[in-house]
Amino acid sequence: MSGPNEDNNTQLSSHIFGDLLDSIIVDVASECHRIAKLGLDRNLEEEEEEMRLSAQARARVADPSNSSETNTKYVVDIFGQTHPSVATEIFECMNCGRSIAAGRFAPHLEKCMGKGRKARLKVTRSSTAAQNRYSRGSPVSTYSPYSNSTSTNRLSNGTPSVAGEEYSNGTYEEPWNKT
Amino acid sequence: MKHSVNRPPTPDGAEDQGNEPTLQEIINIKLIESGEKERLMELLRERLIECGWKDEMKALCRSYVKKKGRNNVTLDDLVHLITPKGRASVPDFVKAELLQRIRSFLMSAAL
Repeated sequence: MSGPNEDNNTQLSSHIFGDLLDSIIVDVASECHRIAKLGLDRNLEEEEEEMRLSAQARARVADPSNSSETNTKYVVDIFGQTHPSVATEIFECMNCGRSIAAGRFAPHLEKCMGKGRKARLKVTRSSTAAQNRYSRGSPVSTYSPYSNSTSTNRLSNGTPSVAGEEYSNGTYEEPWNKT
Repeated sequence: MKHSVNRPPTPDGAEDQGNEPTLQEIINIKLIESGEKERLMELLRERLIECGWKDEMKALCRSYVKKKGRNNVTLDDLVHLITPKGRASVPDFVKAELLQRIRSFLMSAAL
């Protein structure tokens, strides 16, 4: 009896083991299925969320109606701040002493220092030699405290780059980068 | 009358085919009634957790769910996913231990 029984036993044992294992496999699968359906796997959710957000961000970047940072009325930067499209901080013009908004500074300087009829009269009065080189003029050197001075870079006259070198900060930041 | 003569006797047919499944059924019933099946299941579960088998299976499921999207996965999918790998990746010592236990139960059940 022992011979065939032994084989039977081995076969039976394997069969029983297989049954146990199958039950456990179904249990594990069922557990994972439940976790998946109920959204209990935090990592899974976070990754889905991140993928969704990155797809969103990519769509926003690719969107032609957004012209990078200049469409700033509604675009939020990474700190969650929005900036008005015209910079609103107020400075004193070193030339005429008036209070000017930063976003209006360049056009103001154009009129104040250069291309306007009245401005040219002012310049010829103050310094004849430096009529086309505003950079070496005294008004510029008093300008050091303001990092926003680089708005003079906006002047289309071509002087700005030279003017920029005078500043101790040497910063060429865009106004948008100011916090 | 012809019908009843030609028709094979039903009880005999069952007896002729039924030895093996019946034996297994008997053993299964004995396993369950004695509580041994439950103990064996718990032992196997514990060993599979200890050796990391369960984590492997869960990782397989997770990556499958991530790939397909969690709303597109059925239980059937997961079972079919894990079964072949699950059966193949049980460590030998775990299998040996369980087989040993089962065999000694069969001996003691003494058919």
